[in-house]
Amino acid sequence: MTVDAPISTDYTANELMVIEASRHINDGDMVLAGTGMPLIAITLAQKSHAPHLCAVVETGIIDPELLPSPVSVSDPRIQYRAVKLGSLRDALACVLQRGMIDIGMIGGAQIDQFANVNSTVIGDYAAPRVRFPGSGGANDVASHSRRLLIITRHEKRRFPERVDYITSPGYIDGPDGRRKAGLPTPQQDITIVTDLCVMEIDKGVGRLKVAALMPGVTLDRVLDNTLFKPLVAERLAQVEPPSEEYIRILREEVDPQRVYFRGAGEG
Amino acid sequence: MPVNSQSKVMTAREAVARFVAPGCVLGMGGQNVGRIPMALTHEILRQGIGGLTILGCNLSIAMDLLVGAGLVRRTESGTGNLERFGTTFQWRRAIEAGVLQHRDYSHLAMVSRFLAGEMGLPFMPTKSLLGSDILNKHPDGGDGYVLMDNPWGEHEPVALLPAACPDVAIIHAQRADELGNVIIEGFAAHDVEMVRASRAAIVSCEEVVSSEETRRRPELTAIPYLYVSAVVEQPFGGHPTSVYRAYDFDSDHLTHYQACAREGGQMYQKYLERYVLGCDGFDDYLERIGGVKRLHALRQAMQGMM
Repeated sequence: MTVDAPISTDYTANELMVIEASRHINDGDMVLAGTGMPLIAITLAQKSHAPHLCAVVETGIIDPELLPSPVSVSDPRIQYRAVKLGSLRDALACVLQRGMIDIGMIGGAQIDQFANVNSTVIGDYAAPRVRFPGSGGANDVASHSRRLLIITRHEKRRFPERVDYITSPGYIDGPDGRRKAGLPTPQQDITIVTDLCVMEIDKGVGRLKVAALMPGVTLDRVLDNTLFKPLVAERLAQVEPPSEEYIRILREEVDPQRVYFRGAGEG
Repeated sequence: MPVNSQSKVMTAREAVARFVAPGCVLGMGGQNVGRIPMALTHEILRQGIGGLTILGCNLSIAMDLLVGAGLVRRTESGTGNLERFGTTFQWRRAIEAGVLQHRDYSHLAMVSRFLAGEMGLPFMPTKSLLGSDILNKHPDGGDGYVLMDNPWGEHEPVALLPAACPDVAIIHAQRADELGNVIIEGFAAHDVEMVRASRAAIVSCEEVVSSEETRRRPELTAIPYLYVSAVVEQPFGGHPTSVYRAYDFDSDHLTHYQACAREGGQMYQKYLERYVLGCDGFDDYLERIGGVKRLHALRQAMQGMM
């Protein structure tokens, strides 16, 4: 079930986004994933190349077998056959803040050139134009995970030069930003996976760099849909298209009810 | 306060009237679509107890109802949302309109504040929030948090957060006995820390069991009676959210609530009237959302996952 498998020609950009995100999870990783696409990505990873990943969900769930189409971190579908159903403190303090998470996965409304994430407000914090749900566990995940992976749709308004509000810190304002703030993971690896490309933090300058393009996507299209000017890797890679087997697992075992994905060509 | 011979079982009406005062700080248990204290919240709505400050880690549909009914002055939490079902629209609208004060924290930050409260400490340090606007734009500035370096380390800052001690906490659990010993199945969220940090606590449960049962298996007790003021037996008291091992969340009703909350105005008032204010207690509400047939289906959906 790797590169040898037949390559699918029937997949959507959203499906490949989640598949690409799941590829960043290694078998045996301890993973903390937030709701939505991150939960779907770890469910896929558990059912494919990373059967030994240890999922930790913020509500206190440790190492569950992930059932299809979970919609929430409190969903009974992510409590199945866990080794511990504990508390928020068990997950967020005693595992995450304790420094045990290899890779944390979150979403976000806005991401800027330093990989700072905003999931709190658009506009002035004291009098917001739009109010979003807030940090949840995202600030905690961004503060403490060794590697951080952010999954989001690639739209211009989501990638401003500076976020309106730093809910979850990336490199804050430059290469030394995390260290100066005293964050426990000053040299965190940060990867952004969108439906157009993969960006990675360049630790030398503390800014995001386009590392790979989704099949059929041009660099110009990425730049046109990004308000800040990302760095661009010298050798720009292409994200591998999914195998037929990954698409089958995603559709039949991860999201059979199509809560997250509609059919091919629909989004 | 609590003694080990006196039953604390009472109706939701009585418990809310006795322990939830206008203007109080209310701690809310559960998370998103799991184990939200809906029956107790409906009772607060029917009694129209206002001026509330609501504390929780995630606050979802119960908080949104209280905000939508105009009973809330301030919220402090890590999030307001129902995840895949969308944001908490009444809450969002009230903040955008400037009629609701809100204090942002992360989920770990909130549970740390309850942890300080339950241990009788004035504050708790965390290494979350550093470098973020949760601290840098905190409306209370130095009253909201203090940064300090680990006295035994080198450049190892922590953020000190004030203890959170609600006047009264409300949670919904699977079982409690007549004295107020509580059994929580499935994830516990922040409920244990919060209840032990609170000055009073009302626990609604699917089933009241005998304290003889508790004494036979005391290691199952999540919260001993010392912290609990009232026990309310209310089967399906978490509907439309899920209660682990008992029933799944009700997608249809959550979707309907979200549509009303998003639309606001008359449609929202109609929801409140039909499903809360016009109900003669929570059993009446359960009839109105589909009765035995619907509830049975939610039970079966949960059993299918066990």
